[in-house]
Amino acid sequence: MHLDATSTSSLFVSGGLGALFAACHSHEYSPAEIFRLTILPLILRRLLTAIPTLLGIIILSFLLMRFAPGGPFDGERPLAPETRAALEAAYGLNKGLGTQIWLYLSRLAQGDFGPSLIYRDFTVTELIAQSLPISLLIGGLALLLASVLGISAGLFAAARAGMWQDQALMLTATLLTALPTFVTGPLLALIFGLWLGWLPVSGQGGGGAWLLLPVIALALPVAGAVAKLARAGLAEILGQDHIRAARARGVAPLTILRRHALRPALVPVASYLGPAAAGLLTGAVVIETVFGLPGLGRYFVQGALNRDYPLVLGVVTLYAALIILFNLIADLIYGWLDPRMRDV
Amino acid sequence: MRIPLIITAIIAFAAFLLPLVLPWGHAAIDWDSVNAGLFHEGHILGTDDLGRDRLARLLVGTRTTIFVALAAAMVALIIGTIWGAAAGWIGGRTDEMMMRIVDGLYALPFMFVVILLMVVFGRSILLVFIGIGMVEWLTMARVVRGQVLALKNRPFVLAAEAAGSPGYAILLRHILPNVAGVAAAYLMLTVPQVVMVESFLSFLGLGVQEPLTSLGILVNEGADEMDLIPAALLLPGGMLVTIIICLTLAGEKYRDRMAAEARA
Repeated sequence: MHLDATSTSSLFVSGGLGALFAACHSHEYSPAEIFRLTILPLILRRLLTAIPTLLGIIILSFLLMRFAPGGPFDGERPLAPETRAALEAAYGLNKGLGTQIWLYLSRLAQGDFGPSLIYRDFTVTELIAQSLPISLLIGGLALLLASVLGISAGLFAAARAGMWQDQALMLTATLLTALPTFVTGPLLALIFGLWLGWLPVSGQGGGGAWLLLPVIALALPVAGAVAKLARAGLAEILGQDHIRAARARGVAPLTILRRHALRPALVPVASYLGPAAAGLLTGAVVIETVFGLPGLGRYFVQGALNRDYPLVLGVVTLYAALIILFNLIADLIYGWLDPRMRDV
Repeated sequence: MRIPLIITAIIAFAAFLLPLVLPWGHAAIDWDSVNAGLFHEGHILGTDDLGRDRLARLLVGTRTTIFVALAAAMVALIIGTIWGAAAGWIGGRTDEMMMRIVDGLYALPFMFVVILLMVVFGRSILLVFIGIGMVEWLTMARVVRGQVLALKNRPFVLAAEAAGSPGYAILLRHILPNVAGVAAAYLMLTVPQVVMVESFLSFLGLGVQEPLTSLGILVNEGADEMDLIPAALLLPGGMLVTIIICLTLAGEKYRDRMAAEARA
């Protein structure tokens, strides 16, 4: 599900509706009940659509790859026909298209992504197993950093709405979202790695210090987007009647924020989690290339540049699965933040 | 909105006109001055390790980036407008199905789709902008559909219908002109996004190919020699960031103004 900031915020326009929903929720559900009634059906429904989507993506990219002009055995010198035939037989390329897809899918189901064509000594599964942890580590840390930075900046800006702090922060956020990672990455490496000499510029040396620059470079644009969404969300909530009422009664601002405003204000941020995950995956492709890290994205680029079909297919499949997973997590967080989104 | 647009205009003019007067082409090799410094024998910014004039490469790279961005944005505009207008105008089940397709495509990791296309159909500049345009039309389709839906039941459209105008004439003559303003605002926001995608692909070596150059390629080359010549990274990087930021700021201002006008 793709929800942008405007469509989510429009949900809050009808303030009176909230009271109605609150009344429906007067019966308290136990956590187990909530899981059985809301979370479990959501997960099941998502899996029901996720599997055909994933299958569609796999088959489509498989067909695209198979009909691509040029193949892995096209060298500068044409191969002898018998050599070519032997190679194609070894890799199963001489079978019918339907058989090839079926073979690929049934091997995929067993976790076998096939042999890599450029890294001859490895299977794609081995390459993924080696590189996925690095990518997940960088991506996860970047997501964490972006959320913390973005949410706190956004909340602060909303609390100072219209003042210079707000304008300065929002301009910074716009600038951050406009900075491409392939410029910030080398730039950070130049400043902190080469000029100041504080941090390593490539590889995985120096304890955990090698993580710092890639994670920061990856997190900055996402942090900017999160800050904008958090600010918009909170500013919208703060203008509503129940907040005004609380204020008029003299409730402390921090209590208002914690008790009444924070959760609904973060709904737009949660809805951005899916796109953010996609953005981090794309960003990681560049960041891993820039900082020389053997992650998933780097193998993807190498595979794409060298027409390594099994490798590219495997990574695309994995990316698609990850993005579907992140959208599911986003939906769960979404339902937790805003009970009106649960289908009881 | 004015200052960012002026800056962009200056950059665009420089990128399109100055290469015509420079004595060096962007791919011409000056064997007598390889790795030359500033102002060396007419090379204002010096030359790179292959003896190519850095200023000419920077300007031509900027030109390529702007050109690809405009062309791809036009592809996005055309597909998006046709798709969105058709969905909004026909309505009902067709509308629902067409917008489902857009939703589904939104969920795809679009950068990987473009890369997949590049891998499959070979890397050519034509494909770069067709590929990018094909992905970037989604938002345009949504915006145009929304506008068409809002306009469909306005009195002047109903009047035209009552007067017996055929559907396509109403769409062309009465609805699309009213969509144009908002579409233009989103077109302005699409351009910096396309700039980003194109330079991303070129940076990875999957977009624009040598001997042609683009800002993405120059950033990549600059990153390789930034320890010796920081300007090789800073100039194309700075140029790219300036273009993206200026267009984004101007586009956001323009969009907000269009939204305010629509409310009034």
